[in-house]
Amino acid sequence: MPLQRIRDPLHNLIEFDVANKELEMVLWEALQTRPFQRLRRVKQLGFSELVYPGASHSRFAHSIGVFHTARRLMKIIQRDVHPPADSKVHQALAAALLHDLGHGPFSHAFEPVGKELDLPMADHEHVSDLLIRDGEIAEVLKKLGTGFAADVADIITGRGENNIYRAVVSSQFDADRLDYMRRDRLMTGTQHSVIDFEWLMANIEVGTVSMGVDDERVADVETFVLGSKALYAAEGYVLGLFQLYPTVYLHKATRGAEKLFGELIKRLVRLVQDGSAASTGLDKNHPLVQFAEAPDQVEQLLALDDAVVWGALTPIAQSHDKPLADLAHRLRDRQLYKCVDVRAHIDREAEFPMPPDEVDMRCEKIKDSLAEWIIPAGDGLPRVLVDEAERSPYRRVTESKKGPLDQINIMSDGGRLIDLSKRSKVVGELETFKALRFYYAPEDSESKKAIEDAIAEGVQA
Amino acid sequence: MTRDDAQWVADIVRDAGGTVIGRTRLQKIAYLLEVAGFGGGFKFRYKHYGPYSEELASATSKADLLGLIREKEEPASWGGHFSTFTTQEGRTGEDPRFELLRAATHANAIQLELAATALFLARDGVEDPWQETARRKPEKAGVGLTGAKRLYDRLRQIGLPNAFPKID
Repeated sequence: MPLQRIRDPLHNLIEFDVANKELEMVLWEALQTRPFQRLRRVKQLGFSELVYPGASHSRFAHSIGVFHTARRLMKIIQRDVHPPADSKVHQALAAALLHDLGHGPFSHAFEPVGKELDLPMADHEHVSDLLIRDGEIAEVLKKLGTGFAADVADIITGRGENNIYRAVVSSQFDADRLDYMRRDRLMTGTQHSVIDFEWLMANIEVGTVSMGVDDERVADVETFVLGSKALYAAEGYVLGLFQLYPTVYLHKATRGAEKLFGELIKRLVRLVQDGSAASTGLDKNHPLVQFAEAPDQVEQLLALDDAVVWGALTPIAQSHDKPLADLAHRLRDRQLYKCVDVRAHIDREAEFPMPPDEVDMRCEKIKDSLAEWIIPAGDGLPRVLVDEAERSPYRRVTESKKGPLDQINIMSDGGRLIDLSKRSKVVGELETFKALRFYYAPEDSESKKAIEDAIAEGVQA
Repeated sequence: MTRDDAQWVADIVRDAGGTVIGRTRLQKIAYLLEVAGFGGGFKFRYKHYGPYSEELASATSKADLLGLIREKEEPASWGGHFSTFTTQEGRTGEDPRFELLRAATHANAIQLELAATALFLARDGVEDPWQETARRKPEKAGVGLTGAKRLYDRLRQIGLPNAFPKID
């Protein structure tokens, strides 16, 4: 059988050597399964398409790109680690390909709803875990050994051993980020956040770093390090993410759409679970209704994707439940709520620039004073929707949940490893990106005034 | 995240004598309190360092922001950083909650992480929690598993409202 080839807008040619490499033959087979094919219908950036019309790329394309990038990183391990653990290389490459299997419709917008309503199948890590351990994918992976699927699932959920192989799939310099940053930049059309990918790859080697728990040292572990000539490329990599947060991932209109989507799913699930499925405008066999009825069954999640939701919006917009119908209409026709960026207001209106802690404190006060507008009144929707987010483009080892293998280390001329945040002044000074936004219906002048009053009071406090 | 959650974190630090060393330790103390029946209602999930609660991490940041606790970061001997949390006043007492706080506050950080992880896995239905802990954390188990088992047995001796399960 010849090589299986995929043309990709970012990587160009991606090949699976299905004739000579057993791993690639099995992964090519995994790619043909229903759970993996479903990723064609889950967009990588969810509602970003409402802001960047080109950003309609799928998690399917991204997953294959992550595998391709992970394969390149593994070649460095195979060159520098003696001897490399082949089984761990294979497990991590499979994890790279399959890591996004469990994403629900609109990916990250679906997860907070699940948390709020305690829907186990809205947790993408949990769903990925189930799909890899059991069912079609597990059957395919069995060809690589009986415990192979479980080992792959362990890498994705973070239950497995933390080592350099896993860092390829899960760290601040992993194949996932190396693919999505470049792919999202390409597909949105934004011109900032470029990273010097080939130079980074050309300057990676394997080094040894100490790990510890709080103030106790544990042991030395192997990790990726970047040569000193890649310092500025590493800086660019972190700064690129810093720029993508406000402009793409946490764009105010995208987040506004996500908030409406969250409210829509919450209301729909509650209506169905209260026995009022008929008032959703959907047939009782519709995948969204079935999901709401049995949110603990993975099969119901598998039936959901972005296309199912977009297709449901027109019937929901005609439903008898007015708030639900309104949400569907707004999403379908991109009639989003108005956004008020609280932090921007504080910056603009304060007499002097405030220290970050002071801004945080005022944000808390403003939020508290708007509490009654944020909590839904009676059976209705909340009149003010809140978007609160913070993302750090580079976590120092104290803040990391994964330890030193999560870090980007730069090799100094003397051979000593230095964390990027200490080696680069720019990265060391970067602050966490924080957002606090309120959203209200354009016709709701009372909410608008309540928000303005709360901010004015908060700024002057 | 409410002010009550932030105050709950501050109460832990105060009742641990006024100082808790390490973010991992603070998470594990909160987890042990949760299981023991003295919890703040936080949800814990398995992360690289064992049981971890995002909500607790946010409540800790908020407690620092509101001045209920003070977080100071210092470089660790192994190259990373660690945090020390303090309150203006420390408290101590003799009831089981204080006893649990004291034992966890003064335990070796690696052993505490391993013991809390084994407890999490036991409650998650894992058949051999110690073996699974060692599989997931081979480097840490190499230096701390024996001590972690001793620590866990010590914690079980405390008369907690919800006794920790026996793990063989």
